Amino acid sequence: MGMLSLTIVLPLAGALLLAFLPEVGDRSVKQIALVASLAALVASLVLLVQFDVADPNLQQAETWVWIPAIGAQLSLAVDGVSLVLILLTTFLTPLILLASWTSITDRVRGYAAAFLVLEAAVIGVFAATDLLLFYIFFEFTIIPMYLIIGIWGGAGRKYAAVKFFLYTLFGGLLMLVAIIYLYSQTPGGSFAYADIMALELGVTEQRWLFAGFALAFAVKVPLFPVHTWLPDAHTEAPTGGSVFLAGVLLKMGTFGLLRYALPIFPEATIEFAPWLLGLSVVGILYGALVALMQTDIKKLIAYSSVSHMGFVVLGTFALNATATSASVVQMVNHGLSTGALFLLIGFLYERRHTRQISAFGGLAKRVPVMAGLWLLVSLSSLALPGLNGFVGEFPILLGTFQTNRTAAVLASFGVVLAALYLLWAYQRIFHGPLVGADNENTTDLKAREVGILAPILVLIVGIGLYPQPLFDLVEPSVDRVLTEVGVEPLEIEPIAATSEES
Amino acid sequence: MILAQTADLPGDLVIPDVAWSSFAPELLVTAMALVLLLVAVAKGRELLVTVPSALIGLGVGTWLVTQGSVVPGAVAIALGIALPALGFAFPRRSSMVQAWGAGFALAGALVLTGWQYVAVLDVGGDTIATILPQSALAGALANDGIAFFTRITVYLSTLLVIPLGYGYLQDRRINRAEVEPLLLLSAVGMVALATANDLITLFISLEVFSLALYVLAGLARRDPRSQEASLKYFVMGSVASAILLYGMALVYVATGSLSLPVIGAELGALGELRTVSAFGLALVTVGIGFKVALVPFHFWTPDVYQGSPSNITAFMAAATKAAGFAALLRLYLVAFPNLQTLWVPVLSVLAAITMLYGAYLALVQRDLKRMLAYSSITHAGYATIGVVAVSNAGLSATLWYLLTYAVGTLGAFGCIVAIERTRRGEVTLVDLRGLGKTSPATAGILALCLLSLAGLPPTAGFVGKLVVFQAGIESGLTWLVVIGVLSSVVAAFFYLRIAGAMFLEEADVTRPLPSASTGLSTSIAIAATLVVFLGVQPQLLLQLADTAAALVR
Repeated sequence: MGMLSLTIVLPLAGALLLAFLPEVGDRSVKQIALVASLAALVASLVLLVQFDVADPNLQQAETWVWIPAIGAQLSLAVDGVSLVLILLTTFLTPLILLASWTSITDRVRGYAAAFLVLEAAVIGVFAATDLLLFYIFFEFTIIPMYLIIGIWGGAGRKYAAVKFFLYTLFGGLLMLVAIIYLYSQTPGGSFAYADIMALELGVTEQRWLFAGFALAFAVKVPLFPVHTWLPDAHTEAPTGGSVFLAGVLLKMGTFGLLRYALPIFPEATIEFAPWLLGLSVVGILYGALVALMQTDIKKLIAYSSVSHMGFVVLGTFALNATATSASVVQMVNHGLSTGALFLLIGFLYERRHTRQISAFGGLAKRVPVMAGLWLLVSLSSLALPGLNGFVGEFPILLGTFQTNRTAAVLASFGVVLAALYLLWAYQRIFHGPLVGADNENTTDLKAREVGILAPILVLIVGIGLYPQPLFDLVEPSVDRVLTEVGVEPLEIEPIAATSEES
Repeated sequence: MILAQTADLPGDLVIPDVAWSSFAPELLVTAMALVLLLVAVAKGRELLVTVPSALIGLGVGTWLVTQGSVVPGAVAIALGIALPALGFAFPRRSSMVQAWGAGFALAGALVLTGWQYVAVLDVGGDTIATILPQSALAGALANDGIAFFTRITVYLSTLLVIPLGYGYLQDRRINRAEVEPLLLLSAVGMVALATANDLITLFISLEVFSLALYVLAGLARRDPRSQEASLKYFVMGSVASAILLYGMALVYVATGSLSLPVIGAELGALGELRTVSAFGLALVTVGIGFKVALVPFHFWTPDVYQGSPSNITAFMAAATKAAGFAALLRLYLVAFPNLQTLWVPVLSVLAAITMLYGAYLALVQRDLKRMLAYSSITHAGYATIGVVAVSNAGLSATLWYLLTYAVGTLGAFGCIVAIERTRRGEVTLVDLRGLGKTSPATAGILALCLLSLAGLPPTAGFVGKLVVFQAGIESGLTWLVVIGVLSSVVAAFFYLRIAGAMFLEEADVTRPLPSASTGLSTSIAIAATLVVFLGVQPQLLLQLADTAAALVR
């Protein structure tokens, strides 16, 4: 068993242990879950060390016989893109468990087990190189997330959970049809990624199949106009659920586009790219405008996710090396910034039990640490140079400008709007007069809470100042995908130079 | 493709005279049904029945062993020892003797099925094995892959249904002496239907199990809903049988034969009689459509499923469907392949309507059994995709789908029985509120089985849908598969409503907790284990289903 499968098995083993353990206290449950998720983090770091950065192909492959009757294998491998996303997953999960340490008191065992299962499934999505296995992991993530939203969520949790379930299931099942069609085209019947990549597909076939895949991923991202489940899910999910959703689950969509939709259907990709660019631009602007009007902070950040993920899709379908690599980097950035924002909202909610912006005001006087961190994370999210958001969004716009000027120009308004809604929200919550006993009595972040945020903040600043290692990790794999699509990777000024100048 | 290879078989097919071994499992089960009936009649003097039948069992067993058939001999001897032992173990409790006896017989039947697979069907070599079709009784029975796989599904379902319903029937005071014998006889009828290779055998076996089910549906004599179910099932079923018989008569007129392979060959050479045979085909489709509950011939299903005692409903849902589809597969793929241009479009449209309509109506149900009835209608639609694919892949997909559906349904009904036992009467969504907290094991297993029925990974139901969709797409029925996918989303919604009621809502503490007897728990646990096992490691049985794709023609 290699490191990759170990990264999946460790959290799963933790979940099984929790499921079959006799009565133990909630504290031990949390400790077991934390140990399992930390073990997965260690395994994924070992994976990073073993990873050969220069090799653009899938590596560290592991394969087991599974269902030869239908040509399905348990096969796993990583390239730079999936490795980065696996690291993001294993990095965020322990933090989520720590953040829920005190806020979750009901059915703790189920909560911890659901997160561990979810972690394993998501890593499986990023690591699978068999389309059936990929599909199974992809669909399986729905169940624990449904439970997390539905059981531990807010007042409207049932509606939000069902909506989440049905939207994502619907998209996924059409992808299943496309996957089976691809399988039926392979000689002898195989679900292996390599065999499916080797297919020569007609243009009409590609269009339909691309539509099947793209719809599934568009729902996950979520792309306008299939984004409507996200605000509900984010608002109702418990803090940990929101962080995981924003941090990792949405990335399955953009990852899927890059790993499957683009290279398997190159002609269709080029044909549909303008449409997807258009939808992402609409999503960027629409998400930003709607975020501006929200009165609930969590909903505001949820809509900002629609906008930010629009940038990722924009970069992916700009189809040039700069923008597409940056879109992978932006996936990580969005996971970190939005994850941190959701954590902060969770901490604030634990103190005040409301998320209405109008209920707050002048908090900076009482909670200076929280205000400072909130500002830092907001600035990262609105792409201030020097922080991580900038090194993602700027090259995306730069690269898109070379392939589709209109899209780039329109999308850049999204950056302006992001500054508006994030800073305006910050201003309304933390500045102005300190009115009311509730605001007076709000307590500042405890050391534990700062400790949970600290690793994320280090990365936010670190990636902002020196993003080159991250780009080095993803660029070869992105170039490989673009070559499959038939776009020659353009040599553009190194990204690091741009960001260091600022 | 194996279908093509066997097409030229009828001429040179040598009928082996080992007739008895072709239906050894059925012989065993029928014999046990008779013994159990006698046990019930004996009233307190069970030894008068068990000892002689044990002697017969031992005698037959010893003779078989001396003849070289070790496995069937051993099974007969084991049953011969078990019968009097049960009599001593449960003195004056003939219902317990019946339940255990039936269980042993079914387990024995499953062993014999396995033995048939290895010894009689002569699976050749270690390459991809193909079950050599074997026919018996002058071609009236075909002992082939369809029969083999249906045996597994039907006997397994019956085996699970007996402990599942034992305590429940006792609670309702309807644990009448005829339950086990009738269950065994209808199981035999179902398997006979799956082996029937001519129209008469097919019709008779259909009636055998239908008659047993009419009685079983009306088991609760004082419950008007049960009586309504029984009467409705009987009237509707009789009409369907009449239509089916009329259709068969027309087919006979057109082809002059009752044997399915001969009909298949004759229909290829027909001239002007084609219209007659087409009418016959239409009527047969209506008749069989009733039995497997394809829309628009499904009207009886919700009322019958809701009114019958829950364990009988589970049996009807799981086993009857498997038998009905076995007959459907054999009829259309053996007798009517030459009329493909007629029935493939019709059945495809029926399948599409069935999937959508069943899922749509299930959405608005509040009663759980009624909801599962509509869900079973939807599943009939999915299984039909494998039939209209007209390929080996489709055939094995349908067989496999029915097995996965059977285990999921049995598990779900088992949980419903556990809930119903303490509720008296209907089980609605309200009854399930908060069950995830008050009774996590029942709720968890019910949710697992529902996930399987909804077709989500990593459960058996997912693999079932996967292979059916594969077969459909490979035969160019992508539109039908897309409709199937759409109906899955609708279906997921109502399965989710059940799961939601259990896990997302607060418990009502005044409601009694579900209670499962040992037998019930065992059945549910086995069903749940199979749901997971077949979902995670389907290779073995999937391979069997693949090899089952050889037909007698």
